[in-house]
Amino acid sequence: MTATAAAPAQPRTPRAASAVPLAGARLLWVELRHNAMPFILPLIAALLWFDSYRPSMTQPPVWAWRTFWNMGQGHTIIDFGPFVAGVAAWMGSREGRRAITDLITAAARPRWITQLATWAATAIWAVGAYLVFAGVMFGVYVAQGILGAPPWWWVAVGAVAVAAFSAAGFAVGAFYPSRFAAPLAAFGSVVVLMMSSQTGFRDTSGWALILPTNSNGNYQSPSGIFYPYLPDLPIARMMLLAGITLAAVGLLGLPSRAGSLRLRWTAAVVTLAGVVMAGTAIGLATTARLGPAGIVIPALHDAANDREIPATPVCSHTAGTPVCLNPVYRPYLADVTAALHPALAQMAGLPGAPARVTQTAGSYNSTEGAYDEAMTISGHPPVLGVPLGTFLLPGTSGFTSAPVRFADFASQLQALAVHAFVGAGAGPGTMAQQAVQAALLQGAGMPFAAQPKVLGQAGVAPPPPGAPAPTGAGAAGPGHDVGPASRSVYAAAHRLAALPAAARRAWLTAHLAAVQSGQLTLAQLP
Amino acid sequence: MTAAGVHQARPGAESAPAGQPGRAALRLLGMFLVSRRVPAALAVLAGLGALMWAALHWHWNIAGGPAAQQVIPLAIETGAAAVIAVASYGPFGEPERATGRWLPWLRLASALILTTAAVGALAAGATGGYLLGGTPALVRDVGGMAGLGLLSAVALGGPFGWTGPMAYWLITESALAEGWTTPWIWPGRPPDDTGAAICAGLFFAAGLAAFTVRGARTSVRD
Repeated sequence: MTATAAAPAQPRTPRAASAVPLAGARLLWVELRHNAMPFILPLIAALLWFDSYRPSMTQPPVWAWRTFWNMGQGHTIIDFGPFVAGVAAWMGSREGRRAITDLITAAARPRWITQLATWAATAIWAVGAYLVFAGVMFGVYVAQGILGAPPWWWVAVGAVAVAAFSAAGFAVGAFYPSRFAAPLAAFGSVVVLMMSSQTGFRDTSGWALILPTNSNGNYQSPSGIFYPYLPDLPIARMMLLAGITLAAVGLLGLPSRAGSLRLRWTAAVVTLAGVVMAGTAIGLATTARLGPAGIVIPALHDAANDREIPATPVCSHTAGTPVCLNPVYRPYLADVTAALHPALAQMAGLPGAPARVTQTAGSYNSTEGAYDEAMTISGHPPVLGVPLGTFLLPGTSGFTSAPVRFADFASQLQALAVHAFVGAGAGPGTMAQQAVQAALLQGAGMPFAAQPKVLGQAGVAPPPPGAPAPTGAGAAGPGHDVGPASRSVYAAAHRLAALPAAARRAWLTAHLAAVQSGQLTLAQLP
Repeated sequence: MTAAGVHQARPGAESAPAGQPGRAALRLLGMFLVSRRVPAALAVLAGLGALMWAALHWHWNIAGGPAAQQVIPLAIETGAAAVIAVASYGPFGEPERATGRWLPWLRLASALILTTAAVGALAAGATGGYLLGGTPALVRDVGGMAGLGLLSAVALGGPFGWTGPMAYWLITESALAEGWTTPWIWPGRPPDDTGAAICAGLFFAAGLAAFTVRGARTSVRD
């Protein structure tokens, strides 16, 4: 008896059609139960605690700062990536190691489909664990009363990155079925992440912004507090990582033993789609530019995201001046108010003295972490704008080896407030401005001897003797006596500070406008 | 069918090298090493040595503090330790354990051969340029991490022995970035530091002893 060619093809019955997804689900369930990934998850959890969670706890309870290391600089990806890639390579090399590739090829389901089921189970374990671990970490932050907005886009990038590492590792194992595939995939992931970090730290523009460990220009103090986290870069990164995932998964279906010709064509299309997606993402990243609220990719940008997050400031008073901060900074209101009190007391009643102190958002810059921006006095009545993200706030900080003392925080705030008051701008100011600044700071309780160090820490110290005069934003206009702080500056400051309080106040009232405009020379001080 | 006559070797089979115990031992060691894919491991170690040479010769480095400066050599040393750990895995499992009288000695020999080869390959690679701490630090770091890899192989199984050195690399980078100076993070200490040498030596000795006595775990999920 033979099966004749004339035998009519039997259409698949509805029951058989429904059995296909059911069988697929069963296959996936089998792979989930026999996957090696859960075996390694306790180790990843321990590493995540050590490398991502523990350092974050040294930061103030603000989302952008707590998660700067683990999300902004991608340390959760570094903690997961090599291990996920290694275990995925082990799973991918399973059939080859057991020498059952031919057996699988002759089985009911195409080899590519069975490989996809194995990879999917591996990725589900890895991505699921990533989301659970990140969720637990965020839950602990929330329980501690963290302020601001969580960086959900970066969590999504991490999840897609974990999937990409699993796909790439699986492909390594499938094409190199050896016991060394797992460590090689893990080692390769370490090298890739090292290069990503290196390029990310160095390059502040162009394609390198696509790297998931690059925080330049996109994860800074105003993030989630004054401005929403811009999704432009995370979307491009997810496109890149999803493209890598598709390309790696598609590659598995290209060999002749992967399945039918139609299936292999499908795999080729998937691979090509992945490559195109990754290439498009890199192309989009090259168009990125720094906007007021972070890195903008024009093709992905929604202008609505540039708007400041509305917030009702929290205020207190000192020296007759209201001091208002973003509500996220409420825990620091008392410290800021106390820190500014001596400086505001010196300025009170003088022309141009701030009638109000308001925290400003500050702007993003192209480097990593905190931006560096001076205080400003503007408007009528004058408002002292304080970009607090510039400072290391009192208490513990991951950026210093010891807790930041209130006295250090206060002296920098005072120095910058007085610096803005004398009209010195972003640079050291004219010599007359430096002298008046020194006298006012001395009046606020900061000895002359301590001032150069504080001004240096605040980034507005005069250049050392012999150094070229500042140019650009920090420079005064032509003809002004800009120069290094010298004995003559402090001699003039001594003379001004030595005047009786009433006489000093009268001189300042009469000449402060000239000082602020940079018209007064050092010789014209009393 | 009976088992009669099975004590006789089949015609043409290689006879036991009676009176030549040294040759027999060498043959046994050779077969053991092949079963552990040691030749392939040696090739990978040679590749890592070449990578070390290239990294030092062309000054591949990452700008930053102590953690960044050591990241590339340390990653290569981690790779070498991972290869040693993975080569501990045997394909025969319980039958080999039950019948292999010389197994502990063979394990000891294979671990020592691979560790020596790793140190040799990386030390040769280090001639490509300046390696922080020089060869003494290299010996200490690779030895300590190899011990960690062998311990991982004993605890988790040979296929996952690489996770120990990889986890240690990650912990070391994080600790160095935070300025830790504990001798347990031996790559961050000077090459003549006694505490670091003791800690690395302890790990190597513990790993070697555990692997020699117990071997890599075989009941790992696959």
